[in-house]
Amino acid sequence: MRAYYSIFRMRRRMETQYRGAVLGGIICQVFFGLILVAVYRAMYAGRPQSMPIEHVASYVWLQQAFFRMLLSNDPDLLDKIRTGGIAYDLCRPVHLYGYYYARILAQKLMGSLLRAVPMLAFALLLPRGWGLSLPAGAPALLCALAALALGLLCMSALENLTMGFTMRTLDHRGMQAMMNLLTITFSGNLLPLTLFPDSWQRVITLLPYAQLLDAPIRLYTGDSALSLAPGILLLQAVWTVVLVLAGCLLWRVNQRRLIIQGG
Amino acid sequence: MAVQPQKRQGFALSYIEVRGVNKFFTVRKKRSRGALFREKETVHALKDLSLDIEQGELVGYIGPNGAGKSTTVKILSGILTPEEGTVTVGGRVPWISRKNHVRRIGVVFGQRSQLWWDVPIQDSFSLLRDIYRVPDGAYQKRLGELTEALQLGDLLRTPLRLCSLGQRMRAELCGSLLHSPELLFLDEPTIGLDAVSKLALRDFLRWENGQRGTTILLTTHDMEDITALSSRVMVLGHGRLLYDGAMRDLLARYDTQRTAAVRYEAPVELSGLPAGCQVARQGETFLVTYSPQAVAAGEVLERLRLAGPIAELTIQPQSVDHLIARMYREMEL
Repeated sequence: MRAYYSIFRMRRRMETQYRGAVLGGIICQVFFGLILVAVYRAMYAGRPQSMPIEHVASYVWLQQAFFRMLLSNDPDLLDKIRTGGIAYDLCRPVHLYGYYYARILAQKLMGSLLRAVPMLAFALLLPRGWGLSLPAGAPALLCALAALALGLLCMSALENLTMGFTMRTLDHRGMQAMMNLLTITFSGNLLPLTLFPDSWQRVITLLPYAQLLDAPIRLYTGDSALSLAPGILLLQAVWTVVLVLAGCLLWRVNQRRLIIQGG
Repeated sequence: MAVQPQKRQGFALSYIEVRGVNKFFTVRKKRSRGALFREKETVHALKDLSLDIEQGELVGYIGPNGAGKSTTVKILSGILTPEEGTVTVGGRVPWISRKNHVRRIGVVFGQRSQLWWDVPIQDSFSLLRDIYRVPDGAYQKRLGELTEALQLGDLLRTPLRLCSLGQRMRAELCGSLLHSPELLFLDEPTIGLDAVSKLALRDFLRWENGQRGTTILLTTHDMEDITALSSRVMVLGHGRLLYDGAMRDLLARYDTQRTAAVRYEAPVELSGLPAGCQVARQGETFLVTYSPQAVAAGEVLERLRLAGPIAELTIQPQSVDHLIARMYREMEL
């Protein structure tokens, strides 16, 4: 276990190496947050939707704050596969899927923690209807945190599965472009899933993409009632198990038919 | 010219035992016309390869580019699986008991990096310590030993991106040895190093091999590395083992040429040299090439002396690189 934990510490050190990048990321995400909230406010001014504007604003800010969890691929990992640097990882006495899973998880968690805290503090200070509202209640907050943790496990498993496919296609660009499109759309980052037509929502919220941020945010704002929480958490857990198993299987097959690029 | 691996006495297994290994790769090539369809071609990377290495040996593994050297190393380190043949290292089949196997080996791929680019070197080392589960006491002792031998002391807190190539290579080597492996694969470890770094690296390898008895398989294109380090050398070409034996004997076989460079105090005409001598001019210097097996050096010198007063004279064998280049040519590599 120590090896996998060590990966987290390494990632924390990496994140603190480039402080300017962290600041730049925060500014960029805050900018996007403000613009998006302004757009939804304009839309609501013409025709209010079923979901209150305060919830939409909270939804946007939470999405922006945890953007790095959602959409961050480790360029090192992808590059390793492309150039053959993965050879080193293959001669380590670790479970390879687990090693990469830990790396992906660490990247998502450490990367977003540094950014999320100042951003959420900022968003809480904004006027009502513009910024982040308080959670629907203490139980809702706890459920949301649990859902965020499970969602993170689920999303990391999905990304590690993509990594496994990258080992086959040898170039990550096509795979990653598709993955990014699906993630951005079905996670609620592009448009809050709560604003999709109800019939769409029934399907979209079941997909793994919705598990990372949409599920916890709905619990946070109270759009999903507390009574729904067990079902949501169960769905997340099922997805996580399925995706981890599929990933392990793919990695095992890959290891057997491996070619190291670049001599 | 096929070479049988050096046969060992009795039934005892060698430390590394490779028997009849075949490895194929499929290479997709673009057709000359049309971008949609690609031709598949199978490359036979290792052809019926057999070899033995005993514990504590330092073996040089040479051959032209694409001979299959790296492929062998990757099979021995459990990364690749051969299509045919058997391999055991210390009684383990590398690709079957992978985790158990790699715990005991160290690998340096000269053109890749295992250390993290953005963080201080010692942080990368700590991660390796945790991956290999090296106890803290043993780790500190080993790190001290290695940093001293590789002169890394001041560099440990420097991020890798600020290190020079030579510093990086020393750090890479240190990283591969932190868990005190019993077997070390070095894939072109001296690539791009300056003379001082090269010499330091060789000293270190000799020390590691001599003091700790680490078995080392050294792949390189730098013949100086091989002559300085290993008594035994294996030559690979087109996936076949072409030579396995002492470096000395290999060199003796191809060491068939001497060049005497001579400069006279006044212009002269050279004549009457023994048959088989070739003369070339380079400015004022005559280059007389002869074969030591066919002509005695004394005869050549006698003729050179008779031609006039000599200002300067040197006699040199061919460089090891020339010998190896000729060997590759003669083996049709």
